[in-house]
Amino acid sequence: MKRPRWSAATLRRWVQIFSLVLFVALFLATRPIPAQDPPQWLKLYFWFDPLLLVVTFLAAHAVPLMALLAVVTILVTIVCGRVFCGWICPLGVVHDIAGRLIHGRRSPPATNRYSGWQRAKYYLLAGMVVAALFGAHWVTIFDPLVLFYRTLATGLFPTVQWAVEEGSTVVYQKDPGIGPVRLVRVTEPLYLAFRDYLRGVEKQAFLGSGGILAFFVIIVALNAYRRRWWCRFVCPLGAFLGVLAWRPLLRRTVSSESCNQCELCGMNCHGAAASSEGQKWRPSECFGCLNCTDACRRGALRFQWSWPWRSDPSLASVDLSRRGLLASAVGGITLFGFFRATPLGRGKVFNPKLIRPPGARPEPEFLARCTGCGLCMKICPTGGLQPCFLEAGLEGIWTPRLVPKLGYCSYDCNRCGLVCPTEAIQPMTLEEKRRVKMGLATFDTTRCIPYAYGRDCMVCEEHCPIPEKAIYFHEVEILTRDGEVRRIKQPRVDPAKCIGCGVCEHVCVYRDMPAIRVTSANESRHLSNQPLPPWEETYY
Amino acid sequence: MVKWSRREFLVESGAAAVACTSGMGMAAQAPQSSPTMAIAKWGGDQPASSEEIDRIAEQLTVKAIESIGGIGRFVRRGDVVWVKPNIAWIQPPEMAANTNPQVVATIVRLCLEAGAKRVKVGDNPVDIAQQTYEISKIAAAVRPLGADVVFMDRSRFRRVAIKGEVLKEIPIYPEILEADVVINVPIAKHHGLATITVAMKNFMGVVEERRTFHQAIGQTLTDLCLFLKPKISIVDAVRVLVARGPRGGRLEDVRTPLAVAAGTDIVALDAWAAEVLGRNPDDISSVVCGHKAGLGTKDYRSLNPVEISVA
Repeated sequence: MKRPRWSAATLRRWVQIFSLVLFVALFLATRPIPAQDPPQWLKLYFWFDPLLLVVTFLAAHAVPLMALLAVVTILVTIVCGRVFCGWICPLGVVHDIAGRLIHGRRSPPATNRYSGWQRAKYYLLAGMVVAALFGAHWVTIFDPLVLFYRTLATGLFPTVQWAVEEGSTVVYQKDPGIGPVRLVRVTEPLYLAFRDYLRGVEKQAFLGSGGILAFFVIIVALNAYRRRWWCRFVCPLGAFLGVLAWRPLLRRTVSSESCNQCELCGMNCHGAAASSEGQKWRPSECFGCLNCTDACRRGALRFQWSWPWRSDPSLASVDLSRRGLLASAVGGITLFGFFRATPLGRGKVFNPKLIRPPGARPEPEFLARCTGCGLCMKICPTGGLQPCFLEAGLEGIWTPRLVPKLGYCSYDCNRCGLVCPTEAIQPMTLEEKRRVKMGLATFDTTRCIPYAYGRDCMVCEEHCPIPEKAIYFHEVEILTRDGEVRRIKQPRVDPAKCIGCGVCEHVCVYRDMPAIRVTSANESRHLSNQPLPPWEETYY
Repeated sequence: MVKWSRREFLVESGAAAVACTSGMGMAAQAPQSSPTMAIAKWGGDQPASSEEIDRIAEQLTVKAIESIGGIGRFVRRGDVVWVKPNIAWIQPPEMAANTNPQVVATIVRLCLEAGAKRVKVGDNPVDIAQQTYEISKIAAAVRPLGADVVFMDRSRFRRVAIKGEVLKEIPIYPEILEADVVINVPIAKHHGLATITVAMKNFMGVVEERRTFHQAIGQTLTDLCLFLKPKISIVDAVRVLVARGPRGGRLEDVRTPLAVAAGTDIVALDAWAAEVLGRNPDDISSVVCGHKAGLGTKDYRSLNPVEISVA
């Protein structure tokens, strides 16, 4: 029997490609456009992510209104199974492409059997949900949408950007060509188009992007071991949807008269949901990719409607053990304990380098919402928002912090709060945001030029964006080496006015270790981290 | 009060040109006898709105340029012109932290009318460039006229040996050096360290690695200007910032002298602007250094500047 050229699986592939393109397009559209608020639809994918909805609700007891759209995904999954994984998930598309490149269309039956280890994702999820009940939101950093967005934002796109910028710069500066034909005539328009329509920040780079990239590369490479390894064994969103797809209304049926047990369906299956063991089918593992119906030469396979209460002998359950779930719960509580039983977690100390974006909630609440997706880092117009490594503890890995040496918080920007999908950074008007203190600037008078070397310098004062100036000059008389009296302007910080935006540190003449540095002291979000309360008084 | 529309101005200046060429014997001498400096001041009623200030800015700019011999004295047909405003900070025009967009737009228009092949407008802002160009309203003012709004990418600067007294080598944006004419269009502002920032300091916007300049601001600016040899500067003193400069941000620190000065002597223009800002030119290190180095004269009155009252 000749198979039709336009099959259901082909349609599914096109939908997947469209979804990947849309995801990347929304990613690229997340740029700081001058004098414009970022549109809300940039968060589209995150609105439809039920894992973010449920875990944020459990951890923070609140969710942004638009996140309720994820209920749609939940309902679709209850009806049709894990079609989100098979048709929509952009990371799933990446896995499918990798699997196709590695294995071709079919996997040999030996490497495509259902493995008992596929239950691991449910146990992991169970443990994480228990941790979320206590306020640890950690599981969301492994959410596939979050994980993919973060990798794009901090690793993949900056790599492309580096190649375009450095490549075109080499051509520009060397200006090669044959006679009057200059190569820049080709490269400069391309570079300018990239700069004006795709790029966010010039020379953007992220701390720790190597680790984020390595994680991504490893999970994609594991397709070599098992097709869609991540989705089958680990993915917490996949596990969540798998639980919902326990007894979907749309079920695969086999007509035993037609089936000759050829195993083509099993070899083409993306999720190892229907392999070997007779004609059984595991709905929680099925991505609804329709490869099986497409592959069957005898038309023995069909997807048909059924009622949820109708048990079906061909349905194989996930069979999680009560003991295993209990162990997961204990594991989740233990993990939460490990996270918080630290000096930082108990609020005994504050990390001076943990300068959160403006409007970030107090640390425990922030961690109960932040997924580390990287939207704020992508839209930050200075490139100052960077992924944490362990500055906020293991629980806060890949969450954003401001690194003033790399970029400052622009006085005229409030975009990070507007794009945060879970409102870990609260959305604020520009006026509100300008009143938020992220930290406090401090002079290192052993380096600062007017203090240490008796020369004038004013770069920090000039850049201080506070209209009343949080950095001001104090004119003093100093003795030069030759004993001559000289008047010099020494800069000082007014702690009542400083908001810790970090522009002073960013522009300091010293590039190795700036002579004015911002720490998290005085941050608005923690009263106990305010050595100099914002009382209107000048200290000198 | 005489209001000059664009059309009236064109007709008048056209008539003047005809008069010049029709045997009055001035045409040949005009370039030599053109004044080196002109100051156009508003003599009419105090403007009540931003729009009125914009209109005044345009008229003052036209008059000031006309009085030093017209833009044709500097821009020839087919020239590539770089207009260098001060677009440093994310501040709207009302804050007087950047050059008035109407002053810039008027110059762009005059250059194009004089036959310039391309007019590029750009600065190396201190704040984020894309945001600064928009909020300053300069990009929106010049784009419709046909100017190229250029962002100076850091990676596109080239190291140039300028062999100054303190500055030996500095990355300069190459298109500035390649342009046939550079028209320097600063705004007059207070500056926390340099005391004022006007025409000389505006050229800090064409270089990189400028953070150390402040340690010897007078000499570094003099070195840079001696190398660049600016032919014409047009100082925007329509709105000025008298305190908390150069960034500003408080309307209380903004004054409206409603004046535009144009000239060929960059030091003299700075000296004039210092007085407008209520300072003594002798206290401004760049003016003193520039004067000493022969870049220009700090005694701008010795140049007999043409003073025009526009109303």
